[in-house]
Amino acid sequence: MAKNFLKTSRLDQFLETLRLFGELHAPTISESGVHGFAPLDDPADLNLDYRRTQIPPKKYLLPFREEILQCAGGKYREGNSGAGDMVLFGVHSCDLEGIAYLDRVFLSDPVDPGYSARRARLTLVGISCVPDDYCFCPEEMTSTACDLFLGASAEGFHLSCYSTRGRALLAAAEHLLEEGAPLPAATCSGPCFPPQDPDLRFSDHPLWQKFASTCVSCGACSVCCPTCYCFDVREYPGLAGGGTRIREWDNCLFATHGEVAGANFRPDRLDRLRYRFLHKYCGFTPLQGTSSCVGCGRCKAVCPVDIDLRELTVAPKRVQP
Amino acid sequence: MKQPHHSPHLPYSAYLVERRDLSEDTSLFRIAPEADALTELSSFVPGQFVQLSVPGGGEIPISPADLPAAQGTVELCVRRVGHVTELLHKLEPGAQLGLRGPFGCGFPLDDMAGRPVLLLAGGLGIAPLRSLLMHLLRQRERYGDITLMYGAKQPGLMLFREELAALAAAGGMRLYLTVDFAPEQLEGGYSCAIGLLPDLLKGFRFDAANTYAAVCGPPPLYRCLVADLERAGVAAQRILLSLERRMRCGVGRCCHCAIGQKLCCVDGPVFRASDLKGIPEAL
Repeated sequence: MAKNFLKTSRLDQFLETLRLFGELHAPTISESGVHGFAPLDDPADLNLDYRRTQIPPKKYLLPFREEILQCAGGKYREGNSGAGDMVLFGVHSCDLEGIAYLDRVFLSDPVDPGYSARRARLTLVGISCVPDDYCFCPEEMTSTACDLFLGASAEGFHLSCYSTRGRALLAAAEHLLEEGAPLPAATCSGPCFPPQDPDLRFSDHPLWQKFASTCVSCGACSVCCPTCYCFDVREYPGLAGGGTRIREWDNCLFATHGEVAGANFRPDRLDRLRYRFLHKYCGFTPLQGTSSCVGCGRCKAVCPVDIDLRELTVAPKRVQP
Repeated sequence: MKQPHHSPHLPYSAYLVERRDLSEDTSLFRIAPEADALTELSSFVPGQFVQLSVPGGGEIPISPADLPAAQGTVELCVRRVGHVTELLHKLEPGAQLGLRGPFGCGFPLDDMAGRPVLLLAGGLGIAPLRSLLMHLLRQRERYGDITLMYGAKQPGLMLFREELAALAAAGGMRLYLTVDFAPEQLEGGYSCAIGLLPDLLKGFRFDAANTYAAVCGPPPLYRCLVADLERAGVAAQRILLSLERRMRCGVGRCCHCAIGQKLCCVDGPVFRASDLKGIPEAL
């Protein structure tokens, strides 16, 4: 039998071993009570009893603001992706699937240099979770989109390895592991929220009107979404000439997103809300037909006016337009 | 050919060769990019766009007004209308610029071969259509009748008018011009209607069943012209629209140019009207 079981009492030692592979980041709670991935300097700060972090791990691959180009003497050169090796520990399956989706977008041709540099240096250690009322995912979803996955049980963790790097982690931690029972096969991989009936999604269904009448376009659902990645590009001149080109997270719920000179193609909240969920659930070029919702439940958890998209998938069939 | 070692964000170096003023606020910039950029540009199809960088200012998507010339330059027709274009208009020949591209899908030239082509340009929409027109005229025998209908607000804002008149006089195409109003005396002895572009189309007799129509102009123009063209008998799949959006990245990532489930920067900017049906935000 393979050595693949980690007793809870050895978790701290296991974390120390992970540090050999890069700066260790893990779920923690801030002073203000917000769950988030942060550098784990003290193992006592680890908080594995979390449902979802407020900001998803996309922040490590797509920084909120990133310098993509520097310009001097009229010539541009690439910015520094500024990434060192990092181990992200304690990531739930939904967030792992979120990263797998971003990989499809940013590692396809032409490869995004910043994303690809950071992704190559990122080791992902997933962990099983207990869904709550906000989660959209099917029960017992286990993602394989990681290097190593920890299935939690009462006494400890069953480790499953999904990459060469994962095997290296296991080898380095072998002295901490015990023989465990064989694991059941991973049950689910890929976005889990089923794409919906096209007539319903973008029809003039009254539910859209209902959502739009309460939506305040705060954009929180997009900021917190593990697969929302659209960005704006800006350039700032330097005081002594030259300049810096940055890209930063943008938000399709903001009115400026659909603007062109002299017009706005999504002037109303209804248009923008529907546009966002068209993209989320039905995909778009080049991933048309692919839902990018991973069921993490953040959009519902953070919505200040309690918009619950599940109504779209459950209720509409029963509502008469 | 894409150069795999070259970052998709990084513009190639280019410099401004010369600038020709076309109207009070619109100029034609002739730009010379470095050799690697020209290699990429050799695949340019009319209707595609490039990303032009003004160092320290930013980047804007522009559809070239002509095919890259044999002497290695690109012509961009740009109106002074925002931050980057304002800076561009202040530059002197020799100034450093940046260029990426070409991006997107241009006009379906192979499908258009052998058929009459009707170009409908409103205002600055003449710029992308000029590269198509130049291509059609250079390969004149490949296409059927060529007609350009061009509408501008007033005679002073009509771009390339002498050049277009000369091309029409050479016999390769028919030219119809119209202005919304004419406060000034018309110079140069060319004829010009007063009215809107759809009015010009109304009286036009053509082989609608075979014609490809190429439209570029301000957003309201598409809404009425598509309906008019269809009414005249041009099938929606042969109505080609060059759409404007704020393409930031050019490679299908930033999503600023999304039109329903399509992206203007990769699926467009030239779309068939039939592909846009049912997308409320398209036109």
